Amino acid sequence: MVPVTAQFQAESALHPAARELLLEIFDQGWADPRKLHLESRRAAILLQEAKESIANDLGLSPAEIYFLGEISLGFHLAVAGLAHNEGRLIHSSIDRQEVLALASQFPHALHVGVNNSGEISLPRLARSDVLLWQSINAETGLLRPLHAELQEFSGSIFVDHTAYPMPAPELPSWTTALWDASSWSGPHGLSIFGLKSGTQSWRNPFPHLEQSVVPSGFSLPLAMASAVALSHWKKDEIAATSNASEMAQRIRDYVSVEIPHTDFLSADLPALRSILSLSFLYVDAERLQADLAAEGFAVDSGSACISANLEASHVLKGMGLLSQGNIRLRLHHRVTIAEIEAFLPVLKRLVEKQRE
Amino acid sequence: MTGKIIDARGKRCPLPIIELAKALTSVEIGDSLTLLSDDPATSADLNAWARMTKNLVAPQGVHRYLVTRKN
Repeated sequence: MVPVTAQFQAESALHPAARELLLEIFDQGWADPRKLHLESRRAAILLQEAKESIANDLGLSPAEIYFLGEISLGFHLAVAGLAHNEGRLIHSSIDRQEVLALASQFPHALHVGVNNSGEISLPRLARSDVLLWQSINAETGLLRPLHAELQEFSGSIFVDHTAYPMPAPELPSWTTALWDASSWSGPHGLSIFGLKSGTQSWRNPFPHLEQSVVPSGFSLPLAMASAVALSHWKKDEIAATSNASEMAQRIRDYVSVEIPHTDFLSADLPALRSILSLSFLYVDAERLQADLAAEGFAVDSGSACISANLEASHVLKGMGLLSQGNIRLRLHHRVTIAEIEAFLPVLKRLVEKQRE
Repeated sequence: MTGKIIDARGKRCPLPIIELAKALTSVEIGDSLTLLSDDPATSADLNAWARMTKNLVAPQGVHRYLVTRKN
């Protein structure tokens, strides 16, 4: 009997505590925190509490946090807000599509490649340079610690934390940062823009909003639910991390023996163990995804064969990993070893079926 | 030696590499064939394929690859 699960997708269900809070607030209604009457004052206090809680969990000061709705807006604020600097806008080939698209609009953008380990070869940095840096690669789970030389760098750094809620970097020169509440099982449609206190190199890319830093069109209930989800997620994630590395090892051991011609990131590389990307040679990812779904397993894919994508994953390509027959698993805290054990033989059977 | 041509133009991944692998079984070790493929994933995936199967790939201009069987 195969368990019906949608566990292996990046989008997990809202944390129960966040869901409960959300329902409660929607039932009560809420007020505009910028007004002065009693209900508004209460809303403003709740919003401040949410800010403090998130700031505490992400290692920021509450004054450095701005809630946003749409995440594309966050990328725009964080990247375009630094693009007026005279130096180069340095970014790598495995950055998110949004970052690549934004950077390509500026004539002083410098696109650098990565090697098989995902390491970018940084040029010598100047004070006027802007570095766009992804802390974790969402597709491969690759951790991208900031190079030691960046400790000396006095230019500007945008840190993309949207794949996974890493705390703000302990760096003298991080300038802007972005988080996505859905990466910690919070609600979709709520992102967090971080702007380091006292920064001089950021300028609001929306001239008409110069006084307010960010447009205030975010949902107060979603912000509060995100704060609750983050603090619960942090507790769950500590437990999940040790399980995930065990599960990831079990999966790698299994496919190494049972499913030949499978490509995955070397286990030696620093990576988040809860994200695992597997590519099967001679396999059509769309068919594999559909076959897995029919057996009750929902997974993500980075292959070009997925009809909506025109190009194969630029990340897999950039790192020289096989892009055909690709599936991605998210081993979060609700995934059990029993589910992995049920999943593996099904995966083997479906890959073999295609290779016949 | 480079006589055989696999024309996989117009086919989407993973078909070009599947056809290549099939054709390569009829080639002697050390011999080569030419793959024609205009799928955007082919170029990068051929390199990964060569690494995984321990064969040799050399791009020969647009949409054209010389593949040598090594094992």
